[in-house]
Amino acid sequence: MEILSYKKFYEDPVKKGEKVDDELSKDCYNVFACRHKFCREWCPDYVEEGNESYTSYGYHTGLLALSRGNGDLSEMKNAYIHCLECGQCELKCPNTMFGGDFYRVTTTTVDLVRKMRRDLHAQGIDYDGFEEVQKTIDDFKAHDAGPDEDLTSWAAGLDLPFEGETMMFVDYYNAFQTREVPIAAAKILKAAGVKFGILKHPHITTGELYETDEDAWVDAAKKNVEALKEAGAKTVIIVNPHEYSYFIKEYPRYVGELPFDVVFITDYVNDLIKAGTIKFVKPYNKKVTFHDPCSLNKLCGNYKAPREIIAALPGTHAEIEDPVLQWKYCCGNGVSSAFRKALPDVSYKIGVRRLKHANDVGAEVLLVACPHCKDMFAETKTKSGINIEPVHILEVVAYCMGIEV
Amino acid sequence: MEKMDFSKFGYGKVADHIEELKDIVGPENVMTAMHDRAMRAASCAPFPMQRWEDHIPDVVVLPGSTEEVSEVMKLANKYKLPVVPRGAGCGLADGAFPLNKGICLDMKRMNEILEVDDINRTVTVQPGVNMQELNKVLDKVGMYYPDDPASYGTAVIGGRIGTNGWSVGGAGSGHPANLVCSMEVVLPTGEVVWLGKGGSRKCRNSSAGYRMLELFFGHQGTLGVVTEAVLDCCPKPEVEFPSYYGFASYEEAYNALYQIGISGVKCAVNYIMFDDEKIDFLRRDDEAFIPLPESVKCVVMATFAGTEGEVLAARKKILGIMKKMKGTYLGEEQAWGDWATRHDRYHLAVHCRDGQGQVVTMSWHCEDNCMIHSELPEFTHGLHKIVKKYVDKYDNIFNDAGCFIYCGGPYRTWGDYLAEVDVFINEYAMTPELWEVWLDMKREIAELAVDLGGSISICHGACREGDVDVLIEKELVDGQFEMMKKIKKLFDPNNIMNPGKYRLDLAY
Repeated sequence: MEILSYKKFYEDPVKKGEKVDDELSKDCYNVFACRHKFCREWCPDYVEEGNESYTSYGYHTGLLALSRGNGDLSEMKNAYIHCLECGQCELKCPNTMFGGDFYRVTTTTVDLVRKMRRDLHAQGIDYDGFEEVQKTIDDFKAHDAGPDEDLTSWAAGLDLPFEGETMMFVDYYNAFQTREVPIAAAKILKAAGVKFGILKHPHITTGELYETDEDAWVDAAKKNVEALKEAGAKTVIIVNPHEYSYFIKEYPRYVGELPFDVVFITDYVNDLIKAGTIKFVKPYNKKVTFHDPCSLNKLCGNYKAPREIIAALPGTHAEIEDPVLQWKYCCGNGVSSAFRKALPDVSYKIGVRRLKHANDVGAEVLLVACPHCKDMFAETKTKSGINIEPVHILEVVAYCMGIEV
Repeated sequence: MEKMDFSKFGYGKVADHIEELKDIVGPENVMTAMHDRAMRAASCAPFPMQRWEDHIPDVVVLPGSTEEVSEVMKLANKYKLPVVPRGAGCGLADGAFPLNKGICLDMKRMNEILEVDDINRTVTVQPGVNMQELNKVLDKVGMYYPDDPASYGTAVIGGRIGTNGWSVGGAGSGHPANLVCSMEVVLPTGEVVWLGKGGSRKCRNSSAGYRMLELFFGHQGTLGVVTEAVLDCCPKPEVEFPSYYGFASYEEAYNALYQIGISGVKCAVNYIMFDDEKIDFLRRDDEAFIPLPESVKCVVMATFAGTEGEVLAARKKILGIMKKMKGTYLGEEQAWGDWATRHDRYHLAVHCRDGQGQVVTMSWHCEDNCMIHSELPEFTHGLHKIVKKYVDKYDNIFNDAGCFIYCGGPYRTWGDYLAEVDVFINEYAMTPELWEVWLDMKREIAELAVDLGGSISICHGACREGDVDVLIEKELVDGQFEMMKKIKKLFDPNNIMNPGKYRLDLAY
């Protein structure tokens, strides 16, 4: 997806007791002026909570009011945490639809939310539940500071080199929490005869850090790009769609055009299936549906490959909704997991709605393409008792190829 | 007219009752932070940003049930606290815009669809349900709730009732006032009543008693709060067909509008005329507009929905009339494109041009007068004359975006029209002086409408500044406003519901 708007004026922090930048105020006005509020009806948080304070309209209007002297930054501490950063409001915003086409300026709520979380954190105004988020950041930072072997321990026995023209980037969440996902990815690629490597030391990429300490996150981003370049990467395959959105949407604004192509794993696997390099030997006789990851579908406009892969799976009966209609849904985790950590109850309700919807279309398996979705749905399934199994699409591909994961 | 003075009502301090409100609806549903309150000050543009603080409610309450609404109203009535109900906040008459702060009762948390009855063809909903989302559910059983305003994807049922909204498909399938079978209302004293007809909540018709249900259409939050409604659903039309005809002059388009209006075609959704100024505006400033032949000065659009047989017959009939009236059929692309964007003609940031042709960001506003057929040309020409006078004087601040003319009444295509002039306004640059200029423009438009025998409003309501004084002095004369005041006082003895709205403060 082409990225239309980077707003330089977001770089100036909004500070307590200081005047809000005029450009920011005008930008917020454009959303306030639109009383269509298409952003609202499909916001997964709004669907559950019915509170429009936590919508694109609410965020922009609150800031506009602040710029007009009607606001108090410290009162906003719990406002911005209600955003999943899923991006549906940006896509449905009439300003994006009209202005994006003709003037190449779009609404950028996700950027604004990240900026405000950062600005508030810098002034010591943290949302309730931030300690949990800080703990994750600290854990991930400890990984970054720890030995290289830990970071690649998920790949033990796979015999992957630390260099190559094709590199697979595996983030810490996948490397430590959902190892079955990168393992499936690596085994599929190996079975298809793809020669690829992994980084000896991938650096921290988590979104929680990005919206808390931008400098530290950017520093790690630069190191990742440099390391991939040094490893000889011409193509980088990404296994986590959150990281995919960071690589294609965020990294270029800090390091310029990347010196390699970035491909999401489902696109790469889909091409191998089409080329006949991946061969299926076993059917997957299940009724499935597919949940588009927000980061892939809404933030990056990438939704075709998972559908084509599922269509190619032998024996699988699939009932999959249009990607646009899925804008209304999220698994409940959010693109930064801060939402789930700070608002577990809302997060759970969002997950239940999505699982129920999968149940309505008659599915027994909910396929996902994101490790966070998988984890979130697994938890929601256990808590709610809704009998839909969340399975990662790569695990099914591996299964049909006859690979043990 | 006498200035608004709220001091005589002896209102209590909302800040003293926050804990009681939290006890009623739960602490998480009571919001006192400035940004939560400030964002619920405005409804639709234009909003007086220069005096935002005057309209910020003291507290926002999100009730979750009828009982909670009732308890909030009892508390408010006991301590004389102003209450302003708020639906989607997309009403164009400022119904949800607090004139004296108070409690903002945001009804959107009550958004459950309670029952779908596919035998009696009704759906029972809470007030926070949006029509587009409702129709997704009804679609599964082949039903359809036909209320179709520009704010279709945004507005909620409670607001549609409170503002007596108007639907672009109303000429075919009725407006909200024709589509509600019965409803539950919480009165200012906290009393809960069901208003409807007959012994069930699903009976549509009765001659017994006063028509109390209708009284609660368009009260703009001054008489109570709707907490549940039973809606009349129609079968989903088999086919829909919009068609688009070009005319060389206003006169020809106007005469054609009349002839198709009285043609007797029953499956019309609506007939819409775009006047010459509207076509000029679209050519000038709408980058998405599909170019029309230069000879086209005005357009008439006819849309039908129903069974395939009746729509085919209607197409043929209307095509014959249009040809006779010198209309040129403009093809399907134009018509489908325009029909699909009917929900886009609504408040948003728009780019206009100033006198030098430079792009200026403004926001959309439309006046929604009702006009009888015979006076329509004088009225629309007069509207442009008024607006242009202000555009010439205040470049960059106002813009004339032309008129749409729709059939006005429910289930008919003749008699009167919604004659809508779209005025763009630079809300961001608003100053106290410019605001007064804006109100003068509104007054001139309202006076012209009433002088020519029409109404100030057919779909929004007329309680905005600039409208309301003309309304009281010119439109609701011969005892009507006097009767409104008596009703208001009867229902709301302490004037707590949306005080000042429709100048009903004058009742006390």
